[in-house]
Amino acid sequence: MSTSRSLLPTTRRRSTPLRLGAAVLGLALAAAACGGSGDDDDKASASGGGGGGLDGKTVDFVGYGADNPWGAHFNKVFTDKLEGQGVEIRDLTTMDPGTAVTNFNQAISNKPDLIVAALLDTSSMVVPIEKAKQAGIPVLVFDGRPDPSVDGDVMQVLSDSEALGVAAAQNLVEGLQAQGKDSGDIIVITGTKSGFAAQDRMKGFDAEMAKNPSYEVIETEDGNWDPALTGKIATQLIAKHGCDGIQGAYGMADYQAVAIIASAEQAGCQVGGADGMVVTGSNCFKAGIEAIKAGTLYGTATEDPGTIAEQTADYIERYFNGEEPPATEVVKEERVTAANVADFEAQCSNA
Amino acid sequence: MTALAAPAREAAAARRTRAELATDGVVVVVVVAVLLAGLSTDRFVSVANAKAILTSASLVGVCALGLTLIMIGGSAVSLAISQTVAAVGMVFLSAQSLGLVPALLLAVVVGALVTGVQGAVVGHAGANPVVLTIAASFAIAGVATGVTDGVSVSPSGTGYDHLNATPAGLPLSVYVLVALTLGVEWTLRRTGFGRSLYLVGENRRAARAAGLAVGRTTTLAWLGAGALFAVTAAFTAAFNTSANVNLGGTLTFDAIAAVLAGGTPITGGRGSAVRTFLGAVLIAAVSDILLLRGYSTGVQVLVKGLIVLGVVVLVHLRTRSRQA
Repeated sequence: MSTSRSLLPTTRRRSTPLRLGAAVLGLALAAAACGGSGDDDDKASASGGGGGGLDGKTVDFVGYGADNPWGAHFNKVFTDKLEGQGVEIRDLTTMDPGTAVTNFNQAISNKPDLIVAALLDTSSMVVPIEKAKQAGIPVLVFDGRPDPSVDGDVMQVLSDSEALGVAAAQNLVEGLQAQGKDSGDIIVITGTKSGFAAQDRMKGFDAEMAKNPSYEVIETEDGNWDPALTGKIATQLIAKHGCDGIQGAYGMADYQAVAIIASAEQAGCQVGGADGMVVTGSNCFKAGIEAIKAGTLYGTATEDPGTIAEQTADYIERYFNGEEPPATEVVKEERVTAANVADFEAQCSNA
Repeated sequence: MTALAAPAREAAAARRTRAELATDGVVVVVVVAVLLAGLSTDRFVSVANAKAILTSASLVGVCALGLTLIMIGGSAVSLAISQTVAAVGMVFLSAQSLGLVPALLLAVVVGALVTGVQGAVVGHAGANPVVLTIAASFAIAGVATGVTDGVSVSPSGTGYDHLNATPAGLPLSVYVLVALTLGVEWTLRRTGFGRSLYLVGENRRAARAAGLAVGRTTTLAWLGAGALFAVTAAFTAAFNTSANVNLGGTLTFDAIAAVLAGGTPITGGRGSAVRTFLGAVLIAAVSDILLLRGYSTGVQVLVKGLIVLGVVVLVHLRTRSRQA
C-alpha cells in the first residue's frame, strides 16, 4: 500500500541533525514514490488506498461506543456496509475520551490499513494522530473536525456543524415570523461549549441571527449534551424571564430541545402553535421528529448517523479503490420542519 | 478517682459543646449567606423561581432519598445510580402499552431487584459497596446496551405523560418528593427497620453481636433505595419522552452531593430524609442563584463541590467532637 505525503512520518520530534537528515531523505523518497507535491495537495486529496479494492483490508474503528444511540446506529450501518465487501473491522469503539486514546494507540500497534476515528476529545487525540502519522498509518476522522494542529494529517468526513447552526436560526426566525412576531428574545442551551461541534454550530447560528437583529439571544448556557441538565437550566431560565420573556429557544440536540419543551410546559408556558414558544433542535433524533409532528418542536436539521455512516463507508471504498477522494468531505445537512418532516422521518428515527 | 474523672468529663463536654456550637455557627453563616445572596439576586424572590428550584431538586431529591437509606445503613454509596435509572427508565417506557400503573409497578420492581441484589451481597457477604456498585454499573449499562442494541427506547403508549402533570402549577415530581421524604422519614424514625438501620450503620459488629439481622436490614435498605431510584427513572424518562443508557446523566454524583450537603455522614449511623430534602433544595437554590447572576455551568459545578466539601468537613468535625 502506498502512502500519501500527508500521512508520512514527521520529523517534529527528532532533535539531532543526523535524524533530521534521515527523516528529510525518507520524506523525499516517499514523496517521490507517491508522486505527491506539497502541503496544499495533501489537503486536496487522500491518495494511497492502493487501488486494490476492499477485500482483505483491515480497518481499526475507534468510533463512538454503542452505548450512545447515535453511535450505535452509525456503527451498524458503517460496519455492515464495509464488512459486506470483505473489509475486516476491529471494533475499538468507546464513549470514554481516555479509553479512546488507549484504543487509538492499540490501533496503531495493530498496523491496520486504515484507522477510522471519532474525536471525543480533540486535544487528547493530537498526539495519537501524530503517532499514526509517524507509523505511516492513514487516519480517517468522521463527524467532528480534528485539532487544527493535525488538520492536514488526517482524512475527514465531517458533519456540517455551521450549517446545523444556520438551520436552527432559520427555524427560529421563520417560526417567530409565522406567529407575526417581528422581534423576540431567545435562549440557547448548547452542547459541550468547549467542543468544536458546539462552537461551530454557534458560529453558524450567530451569523444567521445577526441577519435578523430584532431577534435577540438573551441567554446562552452550556447544557453539555445532557438532557437532564438542559431541563434544569431551562426550568431556571424560564423562571427567570417568565413565559412572556422568552419567545424562542434553541436546544442544540433534539433531546435537549425536547427537555426545553417539557420544562416550558411544566412551567405553564405555551409551546408552539399560534403564540407559544418556538423551539428548535439542530440534529435529528426520533424524539425530535415526534415533537415536530406533535407541533411542539418547530424544526431541526439532519446530522443523522445513518447518512454520515454511509458517506464515511463510501469514502473508504473510494480510498481503497485508489480513487483519491478529497482530503475533507462535508456531509450535506438538511433543515427539517413540519413542512418536510415526512421526507426525513425514516432517516431521523434511528437514534 | 470518680472525683477526678468528673472534672475531666465536664471539660470534655465543654469542648464538645464548643465544637458543636462552632460547626452550628458555620452552618448558620452559610445558610444566611445563601439567603442574602438570594435576596440580593434579581428575580430570585418570586413564586416562579421557587417553583423552579423545587422542580430542579425533585428528581435528584427522590434519588437521594434512596441513597440516604444506603448511607445511613453504613454502606457508603452506590455508584450505579445513573445506570440503574437509565435501565429502569427504558423498562418503564417500553412497558407503557400495559398502562401507566402496571408500567410504574414493573419499574419499581425492577429497580428494587437490581439494587436489592447488590444490597444482599453487601449485607450478607460483606462486599465493598463502592467496588461492587462500580462493577454493577458496568454490568447494567452493558445489559441495557445489549438488549436495546444501543437504540433509544421510545414509549409504547402515552400514559407516561401523566407524570409530567402540574397540579396547582407545580410538577407532580415535587409532590412526590415531599410525600416520599415524609414517608422515608417516618420509616426511619418510627419503624423497627429504621431503628435497626441506624444501629447497623453506627456499628455493624455491635449490631450483629446484639442479634440484629444485619444482612437482612442492609438488603431491605437497598431494596427501598432501588424502588426510589425507579421512581426517579420513571419521572426522568417521562420528562425526556425517550430513554437510553445516558438517561441517568450525572444523577449518581448529584444524589451523593444532595445527601452529603444535607449533613448525612458517609460513615453511616446518622442522617435523615428531611436533611437530604434540604440538601437537594440547597444545591438547587445555589445553582439557581449562580445562574441568575450569570455564572457559567463550570462555576455552578465548582460551587456544588465546595458546598459538599464544606459540609463533609463540618460533619467530620462534629463526629470527632462527639467521640472526644
